[in-house]
Amino acid sequence: MATSKDPQYILRYFDRIGVAEGSKLLLSAANVEWIEEHPEWPQEKPNQPFGRMPVLIEKHVDDTDFVICESGNIERYLARAYGFIPSDIRQAAFQEQLRDQASDMFAAFISQLVAKSEEDRRENFAKFDGLLDKLVEVQTKQINANGNNGHLFGDKLSYADIVTYAFYKIIVVGMVKRQANIVDIVRPKLTPQLIKLITAVEANPLLSSYMTRSDSLAAVVTKPTSARL
Amino acid sequence: MLSGSDTVYVLRYFDVIGRAEGCRLLLTAANASWTEEHPEWPAEKANQPFERLPVLVERSNGNEWILCESLTIERYLARVFGFMPTDLKQAALQEQMADQQADLLSAFFAQLTATGDMKPKQIDEFNTLFDRMVKEHGRILSRSSSKQHLFGDHLSYADISLYAFYKLFIVYLKCYQSDIAEIVKSKLTPKIINLILSIEKEPQLAPHFSKCDTMAAIFTAKDF
Repeated sequence: MATSKDPQYILRYFDRIGVAEGSKLLLSAANVEWIEEHPEWPQEKPNQPFGRMPVLIEKHVDDTDFVICESGNIERYLARAYGFIPSDIRQAAFQEQLRDQASDMFAAFISQLVAKSEEDRRENFAKFDGLLDKLVEVQTKQINANGNNGHLFGDKLSYADIVTYAFYKIIVVGMVKRQANIVDIVRPKLTPQLIKLITAVEANPLLSSYMTRSDSLAAVVTKPTSARL
Repeated sequence: MLSGSDTVYVLRYFDVIGRAEGCRLLLTAANASWTEEHPEWPAEKANQPFERLPVLVERSNGNEWILCESLTIERYLARVFGFMPTDLKQAALQEQMADQQADLLSAFFAQLTATGDMKPKQIDEFNTLFDRMVKEHGRILSRSSSKQHLFGDHLSYADISLYAFYKLFIVYLKCYQSDIAEIVKSKLTPKIINLILSIEKEPQLAPHFSKCDTMAAIFTAKDF
């Protein structure tokens, strides 16, 4: 039987910075009791609702757990439950759109990472590069429209801020072991507005406990490029 | 219903089923004032907010709002027109299904474009995932009080999303892979086929079928 000391949430994922990062940030910012589980893989695959991770388990005191999967879905659920997505439907959609766009960019990144032939790799990289440029453009436009105050919308940490931060972190910090040059590809493209947002997210008091356990993305993106040293 | 009676929508997409069918079905089921635009492509690419389609344009009281990303548009329309539950957990269960379906589309293209020794692996992954999706649809249906709806006893976002998903795989994707419709049909259970056909008969969706065929003719007595 769940007690007040038991976690309210269990997030199951691999022990790495990947598509669950947004959920980790949201759980931390929500200031709920939560733990991470890193199931043996692929042994535990059949035991997940859709054979995939991440999975979110919400524990209830009467032992009826609420279990959901799909990274974007988990993020939106937590963001709505804890007030990081506005209740206005249109404002919510504008924020969700940014997440889906970042996710498109990440899918394109993966395509160029896993491409087998040199020709495919070049073609897929061009698609990723173009999409990244476009994403930076739309994010920067929104930040400017919001007064360049370190937030995409309003003046508080929002779902949009968190997922925007998360996707850059996945690529620039999480994936660097698989593609060493990705930092030098992404970093120069980040506008001052995006760097300000990334810095502001990390400095937000709601994420202070998250930052004690996680590498800094801001440190990577504000480092001088090797060409300038 | 949260949309004013003077609100009009424009759905911009290619003139294909593709990734816009859920949006079309939602606008139809909502009895919204809407039209479709098929922008010249790639000439109009640079004029779209993210250089991609679909795009939803909403016009009301002299204002214009633009939204892109197919699933964001679907969830937005579903909420505006009352097809998404207001309960967060119930909404998450419906959105989860739609996201899983989107994973299937990605897996389809991954196995289509895979080469060498990755090809059989990706085909296997796609088939496993599709079987799991059908099982998941069956599981949701078995917990529903109605056999004609996935959740509750009214047409919901999940019903519309499921219908668009199967239409995509059975009617549309053969333009990429000629045998995909037969592969998918062989995986369907009679209960799922019945659900697809029940959704198709929803009166709210009737106007949709003035512009395209139903799937009823595709399933024969052998499938039941």
